[in-house]
Amino acid sequence: MGGILGSGVATAADATSRELETLFESRVRPLLAAKCQGCHGDKVAEAGLRLDSRRSLLAGSDTGPVVVPGDAAKSKLVAAVRHVDDLAMPPDEKLSADEIATIEQWVVAGAPWSGPGGDGDATQPAPVASMDERLATSLKNHWAFTPPARHAAPDLPASFDPAVRDAWSAETIDRFIGATLSNADLKPSPEAAPRDLIRRLFYDLTGMPPSADEADAFCAAASGGQAAADAAFRATVDRLLASREHAEHWARKWLDLARYADTMGYAFDNQDSRYPFAWTYRDWVVEALNRDLPYDQFVTLQLAADRIDPPVPRSDLAALGFLTVGRTFLGNANDIIDDRIDLVTRGLMGLTVACSRCHDHKYEPVTTADYYALHGIFSSSTIPEELPVIGDSPPGPEAEVFAAKLGQLEAAVTAHEAAVHARTIREAVAHAADYFSEVARPAPRTGDNRPPKLADGYELEQLLIDRLKRLLDKAEPTHPILGAWAAARGKNDAEIGPAVAAVVATWGKTPEPRDPKVVNQIVFQELVSTQPTTLRQLAEMYARLVARVAPEAAGGPAAGPTEPAELAALRTLVGVEGSPLVVPRAEAMRVATGAEQRELRKRKKAITMHMAEAAGGPPRAMAILDKDHPVDSHVFLRGNPGRPGEKVERRLPKLLGGAAVARDSSGRLDLARAIVSPDNPLSARMIVNWAWTHHYGRGLIDTPGDLGLRGEPPSHPHLLDDLARRFSDEGKWSLRWLHREIVTSRTWRQSSAIRADLAERDPDNRLFGRANRRRLDWESWRDSMLVAAGTLDRDLHGGQGVDPLLEATMNTRSIYGRLDRQNVPGLLRVFDIANPDTAVHVRSKTTVPQQSLAVLNAPLVVAASRQVVNRVDRELADTWCPDSRIPALWRAVLGRDPAPEEQQRAKDWLAAESAGAPQPTNAWQRLAHALLATAEFQFVD
Amino acid sequence: MTHANHHPLPLTRREALARTGMGLGWLGAASLLQQETASAGSVVATSMAPRPPHFPARARAVIHIFANGGPSHLDTFDRKVALEQYAGREIPNKLATERRTGAALPSPFAFTRHGESGLEVSDLFPHVARHADRLLVVRSMHADVPNHEPSLMLMNCGDARLVRPSAGAWVTYGLGTENQNLPGFVAMCPGGYPIKDTENWRNAFLPGAFQGTYIDTKKTRVEDLVEYVRHPVLDRDTQRRQFDLTAALDRRHLEARQHDPQLEARLASMELAWRMQSEATEAFDVSREPKHVRDRYGDDVQGRQMLIARRLVERGVRYVQLWHGQGQPWDSHEHIEKNHRKLAGECDRAIGALLDDLVGLGLLDTTLVLWGGEFGRTPTVELPNDSGVKEPSGRDHNHHGFTVWMAGGGVKAGTVYGATDELGFKAVEKPVHVHDLQATMLHLLGLDHTKLTYRHSGRDFRLTDVHGRVISDWLA
Repeated sequence: MGGILGSGVATAADATSRELETLFESRVRPLLAAKCQGCHGDKVAEAGLRLDSRRSLLAGSDTGPVVVPGDAAKSKLVAAVRHVDDLAMPPDEKLSADEIATIEQWVVAGAPWSGPGGDGDATQPAPVASMDERLATSLKNHWAFTPPARHAAPDLPASFDPAVRDAWSAETIDRFIGATLSNADLKPSPEAAPRDLIRRLFYDLTGMPPSADEADAFCAAASGGQAAADAAFRATVDRLLASREHAEHWARKWLDLARYADTMGYAFDNQDSRYPFAWTYRDWVVEALNRDLPYDQFVTLQLAADRIDPPVPRSDLAALGFLTVGRTFLGNANDIIDDRIDLVTRGLMGLTVACSRCHDHKYEPVTTADYYALHGIFSSSTIPEELPVIGDSPPGPEAEVFAAKLGQLEAAVTAHEAAVHARTIREAVAHAADYFSEVARPAPRTGDNRPPKLADGYELEQLLIDRLKRLLDKAEPTHPILGAWAAARGKNDAEIGPAVAAVVATWGKTPEPRDPKVVNQIVFQELVSTQPTTLRQLAEMYARLVARVAPEAAGGPAAGPTEPAELAALRTLVGVEGSPLVVPRAEAMRVATGAEQRELRKRKKAITMHMAEAAGGPPRAMAILDKDHPVDSHVFLRGNPGRPGEKVERRLPKLLGGAAVARDSSGRLDLARAIVSPDNPLSARMIVNWAWTHHYGRGLIDTPGDLGLRGEPPSHPHLLDDLARRFSDEGKWSLRWLHREIVTSRTWRQSSAIRADLAERDPDNRLFGRANRRRLDWESWRDSMLVAAGTLDRDLHGGQGVDPLLEATMNTRSIYGRLDRQNVPGLLRVFDIANPDTAVHVRSKTTVPQQSLAVLNAPLVVAASRQVVNRVDRELADTWCPDSRIPALWRAVLGRDPAPEEQQRAKDWLAAESAGAPQPTNAWQRLAHALLATAEFQFVD
Repeated sequence: MTHANHHPLPLTRREALARTGMGLGWLGAASLLQQETASAGSVVATSMAPRPPHFPARARAVIHIFANGGPSHLDTFDRKVALEQYAGREIPNKLATERRTGAALPSPFAFTRHGESGLEVSDLFPHVARHADRLLVVRSMHADVPNHEPSLMLMNCGDARLVRPSAGAWVTYGLGTENQNLPGFVAMCPGGYPIKDTENWRNAFLPGAFQGTYIDTKKTRVEDLVEYVRHPVLDRDTQRRQFDLTAALDRRHLEARQHDPQLEARLASMELAWRMQSEATEAFDVSREPKHVRDRYGDDVQGRQMLIARRLVERGVRYVQLWHGQGQPWDSHEHIEKNHRKLAGECDRAIGALLDDLVGLGLLDTTLVLWGGEFGRTPTVELPNDSGVKEPSGRDHNHHGFTVWMAGGGVKAGTVYGATDELGFKAVEKPVHVHDLQATMLHLLGLDHTKLTYRHSGRDFRLTDVHGRVISDWLA
């Protein structure tokens, strides 16, 4: 700006521009720097807006221009700093009045910008890349945004020991891992000792230890040379992969991702928070893994089992629990949808979309439009009032009792709804005159903005006022029924009489018989006979008309089989269900009193309790189905449902191609198919890395839930991509194929011993030069106690679930434990179970003394010690000779014989503890507890 | 899955040892103090080891006395003379709250000035009033909605609806705790849970170690207070012999598995747990206090839990939250005179004694005491309704304006900050949002609320989300 004109004479314009320059440099620029550029600058550009140059200022934000130079009223920037609407900036602390005035003055002056960042500044930064540009760039450059490709596995270098080189050359995983180790000048670790290996394999595939006999048999087979050991290992892998125990163990990991729990979370006092049928989803996951359902179908069923053609067996509808077992956020629909969007995007693809609920994603090329396109898909889906039955009731008389009782409870709900419906209509009709008056002349409201309470205690319902107002406001004076009202609209009482009389006169002049479409004879007669001259009288006259056509349930006269056209027209306008004062049945609860709503919840709770507790009912799916009329969602500006922005068509995120989904359905099926399409760059990588992480204790990608721009790049990108591609092509999406591929690798079979060179050069074991020693998770720890105690019943599975902390349930695996997400027991928390409120790919892992406190004192462990001794008693038929009992105890708890030194120590300890008693049961129980408390019991080498 | 690359910084073993100066028994217990490597490989603070703040802290510990249900500011610490002028009449500018309210309801309680600061306190809190010159009374608090659930979540977790970690979880995540033999974050509530249950002290996506440990202080037997603190049957000597056998077997196991920090940490944690059995038992056992001390607190549930709070903070517990009781006791929609008198009568003496002791022990300077509810109450009377209110004698919820007070921990003493309008409905002078309170609380603890972050679901989360400002006027 500014500058000296050629003549060297400063003009008035120059003076002004110098003032403006001073304004900008001394006041505006510091203000922008201090209060705006933190979020709208070169580091961060919230909403795509930068305020550090004139060019980017004029480029505006993602939602359009923010400044119209010279026009403060049209400049969003000015509105924002004034805090006049929702977009209030800066968000934390409003600028002072003086500062706001400065901004305004500057905008009015045309937003002049001198010096750096100004128009004359050649070095000023280019405007922030648009979302489309960001998308194009990251699609081209980010490793996870292009479909994975096959990669040739490298040959291992000659520097490897020949035997190792041979062994490690057979499998592609080993060649990738071996080559990377070699590049780092490291060698792989030797294979784990047979007893460690078989124990690791059992835990890894089934979450439970081998019996001592199984371990012995494997060790014996493995002693016959490498070929025999390999054969025994492979045979065991196949056997375990085919076992139900394997399906149960890996189902639990999937349930973490599905944020599974058996309750909805916090519920109001008179609600039952339980999901009576969450378990049908859990059992479906176990069953699906047990039959090795290919992963693409596995996912598709969980998102859209209801949409597949030809229809799937009804039992597969249980898969939809994936979407519905989450928290319910006290019924807030948008939070529930947000949870589902996060589940599907981050959970299944490692793509964080949920950030775009309020603004375009800061890091990923994901927009609010992408988010609300998905929002529409879930918004077009709903949980049916009655969950579909997916199996038969258990045989026996309970089924009839159950059904009869259910019928009663459902009838009680219907009866209550009908009563509330009738009550609301009756009272609305009885106060029709008040509603008409209120529409014409609203009573003054106090600060709480509620409709006034009438003398008889009735409170006008805002919903009904609004409905009636919509009808009345659009009526013209020529309307055959509402014409008089329209003529009186806006007039005071002195004017109403003549206005109404004029309408009556006009109508009176029409020739008889009068056309009911021009003059409604009933209304005409009513007007002639009552001659209303005030608003109140007119309102009362219309109220009498309403009463004549009110539904019978609300005290209206019975309608004859045929009625004259005038009466029918009147009924259609103000008497049928759905007319302004006669709310439809489905909406009655919106105008119910608090007590009526509580009563409804109470009656519904009785149904939930019946389903959750009574025997005899059929299993049901926690299904989600399409709504009759799918809808697109509007973008909510800054996530605020009260501020709808543009409407977006239901479609996939642009990152995944952006294709529109079906118009005549919610689009869940299209979404599912896009997720498991071989072209989807994220899904296969996510699931392959997920499996890898659980097999090795760390992933090829360190952020299994984030494959986006801010996630960690993979340590072995070619291995990851090759495995992901082979998983879908060669493995046909079989998870069992994937598990086998991983655990039969030499890499997986390495020893977990921490070698000095590895500790020094790869302390985090990023290169997989050894296996990782791991602590048992909660489920495996508890299940191992059940195995040691000999109480586990492997045939007990499925159903409503048990309390996992009781001695009485020590026969049931932990996956069948019921979990109340609102009240997760402390013991499960301290052992790091997954937070059931969000998709968890890998649990956090802590070491805190509370864990050890539980190991020492939890009643469950004390009970297990007692049961272990009972088992030894059974097995040895009451032999109390320590020389046979001690090995039996060791074999039960640790799956091996004691070392001589251990045996001696235990014997000495027992002698001291039992003080010569012939059958020192208590001392044996303490010995069993001492073994259960060892690190060896709790860790897998 | 998760990593926190901003704060806290990973400590080396040596640093950890140097900072704590604790000898932690055999077998390299230091590894427990080390930042562990998470399963996914990146560094996460998963232990309770003390960690340095971002900048020098004024407060080391927090005691949050939660008057759950919403205490009336107008009947306690925010006197409104104008309410008497409007008594029984409609007031101008009535605001929307949960339920319908009617005319102005003057406070039935007498107010007196206290201390050199001349702070006006109603006769509900004579013992708190003794400490008038130590209090920072914030009369201009405001929240978002007039309902318990979202307001509790906002006050405790910084977000009204979504699943976010609680303040206590954030603070222990940021700072660890000073006594490894006690939980770092304790939430006490007699008789059961408050509304929203354990969500009030949840860890959400932070590791499980940072969840508050719930204590039902209605129970009087120490072994019932802390989960698993004692073996159900064995006496200590017998258990010690069992414990020693496990330790001997573990040592043998470890000899064959050298250099594994994970195993070492596990063995150390056994030793810690053993000590916790006695130390936690001792810390929660108020019967070890002399009778005259117990008498000052009052021999009842509030006295007991306030005394436990003092004993915990003395022993280096980082964050203690005390709830008045199960449900929402302070929620006086009706008969506020009777209800508030009863509620204040239950806790005033104990709060006064707690402040006395913190002063006497020299702990108040470094302990931030915060008193308040999730919101305040209306200056207008709640009208009879179908939610159970029969007589117009109470006040509805009011999130537009309410009061909290703080003491110690580096806040300005004997000060009143901000004000509600003439009738006490809305915070008008220097309004303070709950996020600002949280930001300032973290500041007092030496934490920058914009830097105490945790990466989850693709972004860095913090207690104050994108809000909050530190109120420097509160700092002493």
